[in-house]
Amino acid sequence: MNKNPSQMRAYLAMSYYTLRATVRNPATLAFGFAFPLVFISIFGLIGGSSQSLTLGLPDQTGQDNPIIQTVKNLSFIKTETGSTSVLEQRLIQGKLDGLLVVDSKPTTPPTYAVSLTTTSGNPTGAATAKTVVSGLVDKLNLKLSGVSSPPVSFAEQEVSGRKFRYIDFVLPGQIGFSLLSTAMFSTVFGFIALKRLLVFKRMFATPVQALTILLAQGTSRMIIALAQTIMIIALGVIAFNFYLPHGLQTFMELIVLSIIGLISFMGFGIFASGFASNENTAGPIVNLVTLPQFLISGVFFPTDSLPNWVQPIANNLPLSYFNQAVRKVTTEGGSLPETWSYVAGLVAWGAVMYILATRTFKWE
Amino acid sequence: MKSARPIIEVKNLVKKYGKFTAVNDVSFEVKEGELFGILGPNGAGKTTTLEIIETLKAPTKGEIIVDGLNIADHAAEVKRRIGVQLQATGFYPELSLIDLLNLFAALYDVKIDPMAALKEVQLEDKAGSFFEKLSGGQKQRFSIASTLINKPRIIFLDEPTTGLDPQARINLWEMIRVIRKQGTTIVMTTHYMEEAEALCDRLAIMDSGKIIKTGTPHQLIDDLLATGFKKPIERKQASLEDVFLHLTGKALRDE
Repeated sequence: MNKNPSQMRAYLAMSYYTLRATVRNPATLAFGFAFPLVFISIFGLIGGSSQSLTLGLPDQTGQDNPIIQTVKNLSFIKTETGSTSVLEQRLIQGKLDGLLVVDSKPTTPPTYAVSLTTTSGNPTGAATAKTVVSGLVDKLNLKLSGVSSPPVSFAEQEVSGRKFRYIDFVLPGQIGFSLLSTAMFSTVFGFIALKRLLVFKRMFATPVQALTILLAQGTSRMIIALAQTIMIIALGVIAFNFYLPHGLQTFMELIVLSIIGLISFMGFGIFASGFASNENTAGPIVNLVTLPQFLISGVFFPTDSLPNWVQPIANNLPLSYFNQAVRKVTTEGGSLPETWSYVAGLVAWGAVMYILATRTFKWE
Repeated sequence: MKSARPIIEVKNLVKKYGKFTAVNDVSFEVKEGELFGILGPNGAGKTTTLEIIETLKAPTKGEIIVDGLNIADHAAEVKRRIGVQLQATGFYPELSLIDLLNLFAALYDVKIDPMAALKEVQLEDKAGSFFEKLSGGQKQRFSIASTLINKPRIIFLDEPTTGLDPQARINLWEMIRVIRKQGTTIVMTTHYMEEAEALCDRLAIMDSGKIIKTGTPHQLIDDLLATGFKKPIERKQASLEDVFLHLTGKALRDE
């Protein structure tokens, strides 16, 4: 490509105009940009509320006692008020983790009877509510009995770290999702259309070389894929406080991983476009490659939660390698060299696909 | 056609797809500056023959010289000297005509004035339109404009008027005649007899992968008459096409 200056001009022009034609295609924008945006927005919002405890405070309970005051002051506890029957209904529906009722007796000093109602239908919420409320009661008992130096003391040391949220897990998965989508959908359907419309053939009637045509096709998709990656990261950082452990360096590492990932995934696309003769046969082939990976490669939930026998398969899929590499540099705060084993996996998958593609690929 | 120098020489060309022989030992010459037609029914091997000369397909056997170059050894250089119109589109549907001309100028590594190129084929007012929005005749005219980008010595037109209405066809004939007058050699395929008769200096009639006969349209007709052939019905002085064009006029109907 570099030997011949006219190939360079042809390469640049083809990359530019292919990109231009592609961004005018609504399917590209829907799959590559809109889907990941919607997913991230939904999952970003889910992640925000997963850490809280919601208690119902029936109207009959007194509000001006130290227990209710403390509960209301704790930032991780949300409270709801209402009639007992309504709140009980909400508890059974799993919308509340427990009902808290405090009866005060006007003795001197006043005494309090705290009762917590939970439901067996929501064991996690019940356990949390029980722990929190009983802890509060114990603390207040000590305080009100005037015990200032209890025989058992407790001190908590926190190792500085950051809060893990669902967005931190799901956003790297979305980068992989959009890269694999672009590589498969846009390469397979794009190439089939270009063959059917004889666009490739017409280009072959000019002095441009086959490799130049392929490189330009790849480059235009690379630009789109990187735009998607940048958009996803930007949305995560701006709207959902997505954490980049080393700032710009992590960002650059994500770009490098995206380039490697897309090149590898495009191998699948070019290979698949070789034996899919038209759009109708391409659909199932594209789904066969993408859907299982979207499900079990750690896009939406960790591969750890899969059955044991699936894990060896799931962990060695190309999208899993990509997702693991990305999470290495984001959630784990690692550096690019630490991802080498995953990158090697991606490169191996890609190499196999490109070798197979040379056997199936046809220009028309 | 006055010059005796052949610009294309095809010698014993064979193209096989598995057991099927698409082109079966075909030989012919095209002279510099002439408009050479390959006439034949669908499936005769016209397109295959053309695409082999255009270096888009490899021959199974045979030798082809284009403008003094053996295409087997000089494919890239041959591509620089020829212009190719494919039977179907061949262009990105989502690019404007200006975009497409600029793209092809880059592929040939030449400088062009896209507007002037569009003017030559009466498409200057469609400069910003997407290729897919053009009518059939406009698409063919644009396709011809794209074959001229690299100022080729020879252009190949594969069934350029198939599917066009009579006005668009006559308009395209005019355009082809103008290109020929400017000194470009033209090789075209068609399955319309009147088109071959109206346009071509010389013809090759092809069927089942073989060239059956070569000559000027007049020669071919005279040869047939010499065998004692007579048309069964006397021909009227006008055809239905004449009636149609008389009634609807020759003005182009592309929007």
